[in-house]
Amino acid sequence: MKTFFRRLALYIFAIWSFFPLYWLLNTSFKTSKDALARPPTFIFKPILKNYLDVIQNNEVWGYFVDSLIVALGTTFFGLLIGIPAAYVLARFKFKGNADFGFWILSTRMTPPIAMLIPFFIMYLKLGILDTHLGLIIAHVGLNLSIIVWLMRGFYTEIPMEIEEASYVDGSSFFQTFYKIAVPLSLPGISAVGIITFLFSWNEFLFALVLGDSVVRTSPVGLYGFVGYQQIYWGQLSASASLLLIPVLFFVFLFQKPLIKGLTFGSFK
Amino acid sequence: MKKKQVSHLPPIKKLNLTRRHFIEATSALVGAGILSSYGLPIYAASNVDEMMKMYNNANIDWQSQKGSSIVLSGLEHPWMSSIEPLLPHFKTLTGIDVQVQKQSESEYVAEVPIKLGAGSPSPDVYMVWSYGQAANAGWLESLDQHFDNSDLFDKNWYDLGDIFSSAKSFPVWNDGQSYVMSITAEAQTMFANQNMLDAIGAAVPTTFDELLSTGKKLKTGDVSGVAMRSKADGSAGTWPCGGFVFSNGGVIIQDGKCMLDSAEAIQAVHYYGTILNEAGPLGVGNYHWYECLNDYMQEVCAIGLDSSNFATDIENPEKSNAAGHTTYGAMVSGPGQQAKPNMWHWMAGINSKSEQKAAAFLFLTWANSKPTCLMSSALGLATTRTSAWESDGFKSAFGSQAATAALTNLQNADGKIMKDCWFHPQSGEILTPFGIAINEVVTGTKSAENAMKEATAKINKAIGA
Amino acid sequence: MNQFIKQKNRFILLMLMPATILLVGLTLFPFIVSFILSFTDYSLLRPGQTKFIFLENYIELMKTDDFWIALRVTVVFTIFAVFIQVVLGVIFANLLHHETRNISFLRTIYLLPLAITPIAATFTFRLMFNPSLGVLNYFMKVLGLPPQAWLASPSTALISLIVVDTWQWTPFILLICLGGLASLPNEPFEAAKVDGANSWQVFSKITVPMLYPFIGLALLFRSIDAFKTFDIIYVLTSGGPGVLTRTLNLYAFKHGIEFLSMGYAGSIAIVMLIITIVVAQIFLRKNKLLQPKDTFK
Repeated sequence: MKTFFRRLALYIFAIWSFFPLYWLLNTSFKTSKDALARPPTFIFKPILKNYLDVIQNNEVWGYFVDSLIVALGTTFFGLLIGIPAAYVLARFKFKGNADFGFWILSTRMTPPIAMLIPFFIMYLKLGILDTHLGLIIAHVGLNLSIIVWLMRGFYTEIPMEIEEASYVDGSSFFQTFYKIAVPLSLPGISAVGIITFLFSWNEFLFALVLGDSVVRTSPVGLYGFVGYQQIYWGQLSASASLLLIPVLFFVFLFQKPLIKGLTFGSFK
Repeated sequence: MKKKQVSHLPPIKKLNLTRRHFIEATSALVGAGILSSYGLPIYAASNVDEMMKMYNNANIDWQSQKGSSIVLSGLEHPWMSSIEPLLPHFKTLTGIDVQVQKQSESEYVAEVPIKLGAGSPSPDVYMVWSYGQAANAGWLESLDQHFDNSDLFDKNWYDLGDIFSSAKSFPVWNDGQSYVMSITAEAQTMFANQNMLDAIGAAVPTTFDELLSTGKKLKTGDVSGVAMRSKADGSAGTWPCGGFVFSNGGVIIQDGKCMLDSAEAIQAVHYYGTILNEAGPLGVGNYHWYECLNDYMQEVCAIGLDSSNFATDIENPEKSNAAGHTTYGAMVSGPGQQAKPNMWHWMAGINSKSEQKAAAFLFLTWANSKPTCLMSSALGLATTRTSAWESDGFKSAFGSQAATAALTNLQNADGKIMKDCWFHPQSGEILTPFGIAINEVVTGTKSAENAMKEATAKINKAIGA
Repeated sequence: MNQFIKQKNRFILLMLMPATILLVGLTLFPFIVSFILSFTDYSLLRPGQTKFIFLENYIELMKTDDFWIALRVTVVFTIFAVFIQVVLGVIFANLLHHETRNISFLRTIYLLPLAITPIAATFTFRLMFNPSLGVLNYFMKVLGLPPQAWLASPSTALISLIVVDTWQWTPFILLICLGGLASLPNEPFEAAKVDGANSWQVFSKITVPMLYPFIGLALLFRSIDAFKTFDIIYVLTSGGPGVLTRTLNLYAFKHGIEFLSMGYAGSIAIVMLIITIVVAQIFLRKNKLLQPKDTFK
């Protein structure tokens, strides 16, 4: 009985999560007249034209590639830089630990509007405007706060016994870190990795200001389908739908450690 | 480094220019080009020479900037989509490579001030949405000295008399110099679903009162009578409602002071709100272009009053159910007043920090030249040239009746009162409170009198009146 | 012993250095510039004529009604949105954690709102909420209920925005909680089962308390982000009807990008920062999340 209600709730939540996307998918098979028809059409004659247009559009492929490079780079470098910092903040008492941690958090607090022009000038002078590396740096910076704090949270909750045992055995701090601590925190890394990837993939404002013609990620590119006085629903919905595929693929790869069975919680 | 190709989203419209169109359009033009759609435009090599003749008539050294490259930046707009297919031809003519950057309006309006505010030399040419802002901020290059440069500009070939007078007067800034060129022309026009009008035996309304009563009769449980923009933003209701204010004998800004609290303005806004409240659709307070146009094209709304540019989409049977039976009419007038529709010229200018000013100028004058306007207007672009508006190519793309109505409205418009508001350096601080106030009247939150008085006080404080 | 401390300090420094360098390099200059500018009358309209006006921007800000209205809208939006999202996120993470079939499939579906390009989702909502053509009012009609103006009506606009935000961001909380649940030790749960506790007791007395640090973090981050919400509001209502959904970030955007008054916009941003810092500090201290718990000696 309990199972039935649980399943019911889970599937209702699934419908809620999926419905707007169902609508988007629906729209991607419709002509522009059908897309806005009243009453809204659930059953209609589907057309493949929107998908064909998008697949044959080199620009959309460009958005996909740019987004992929930036998101993967951000996730990789973000985790690389953030996890060590998080570990140290969680495991070591030192002067300024709390303040440093809070400072990292505060980098996320200021609304970017006021900083856009200085950012732009800085990138212009450094010559990294409109480069993949430049945007990756910005995205890592924007996301570091959450990577560090979440991983710090995970490390705080993992009991220290195994690591202490490893020191007793003579390992250095560094060896303990990457041989023991990191594997233990894989569920956390998985969650944080997915969050970072999704964030970078969908980030709009800095991609807009710091990117241009060479680097044009999908959120910026797809906005181009929002035209003057009308929206090109066909291409917008088709490209958005297609762009889900790589994202879901990445999430699928990364989510193994999140599965319940792989809990590292049982310490003997 | 990857260089993006000229973009074509959505797929380029087919440009069917036949010899016949050109010969009919003007006796001076004898050739025609055929540009194919889908992917980069290519055109039959045999027609290149014909096209070249039209431009080589000019006493301009087209190749003087050969080899250079400029960045053209604009929003997703009919002007951009009509000029882009012609860019390869520009390259053949001048040897100048044009890189296009296109974005949606909201992105564009956010990104360009950041770039130009930071002193970036790119873009070289860009669409200007707020002349007052751009000029005051020093983001534009003065064009006068380039006009005087006989290597780059041939006055006779350009034929200034062919251009609408408002298009010529708008770019003149208060220091007497011009910093932009007008590139499009549009006027507030009414579009009415003739089938729905016939069904109740109503005529196309000509006054505020007629619009209200006809709209109410047209409104049923299923469809609305009139839909106009009223989202709480400076870009939504201000332009159409501004036309109502003008057509009731009022103005928005006069001698640097906000006059929205005058009796005429209050009455106009009151009408605007009442019409939308009683004859408009549910939730009209959140309507912007998309909603207004979509409602009309899906025939769930009978009458709209907005830019003449809507005609291109309304008459497109692939998008619109109202194609073929729409009547385009003049702006409605207030009681005892003369109709003064609102109008707009999009501008384009050269970045004052550009490093390719001569090339940019060549591009601008090429884009606005007679032959180019002829070709772009055949794609449905509302240019600033009479010859283009009267060409068969334009009429069949835009719609003959729509063109006539738009021209009438353009001629009845009073450019000065429009400029006083929209070209004010602080136009943003004028239009935002005005837009919010219109929304509050339409949703019934405030009376027209209170809303306008509060908005006027706020605006005057901001612009220091 | 000295050697050990040296080694430890070197390790700490090394691990913190890359993050520090990146963040300092990236955020220091823009922040200082915008901070200084907030004390000037810098406007892109009058370049080169910038003067220091010290606290005038801030005083002006405190005096204008617009600021307080925007502050109230932002606070109401943040509190309601985050609360609903945290409750939903925790509950459904827990339910999913106990589920045995189709977990991957469900989890993927739950992540979709975060995976879809925001602009496509937002405009889809704009279409769904459309009073005359949208599918929501169609459903209302089918159910025999009166159609609503949703985003256009003063009474339903903010709620509609909260619904959209919830749809989009609940997966974020869910994801963090799933990670947390997956790393919780098994013993307490097994012990509880042996003791005969029912699922509600397990949930409230074991799961939630053990998950508390993660919930706290998720709540903190979501609140920081929700306070700055911009995109959905800009596209869906532009801050309307009237100014009923105009949050502080939108207000700053108008002044900075549309009116080009960057100094004034900067002051709004700094005020938002101060509010966020104060609330975050209070939250973190109260929940003892600032200091590390068990550390190496």
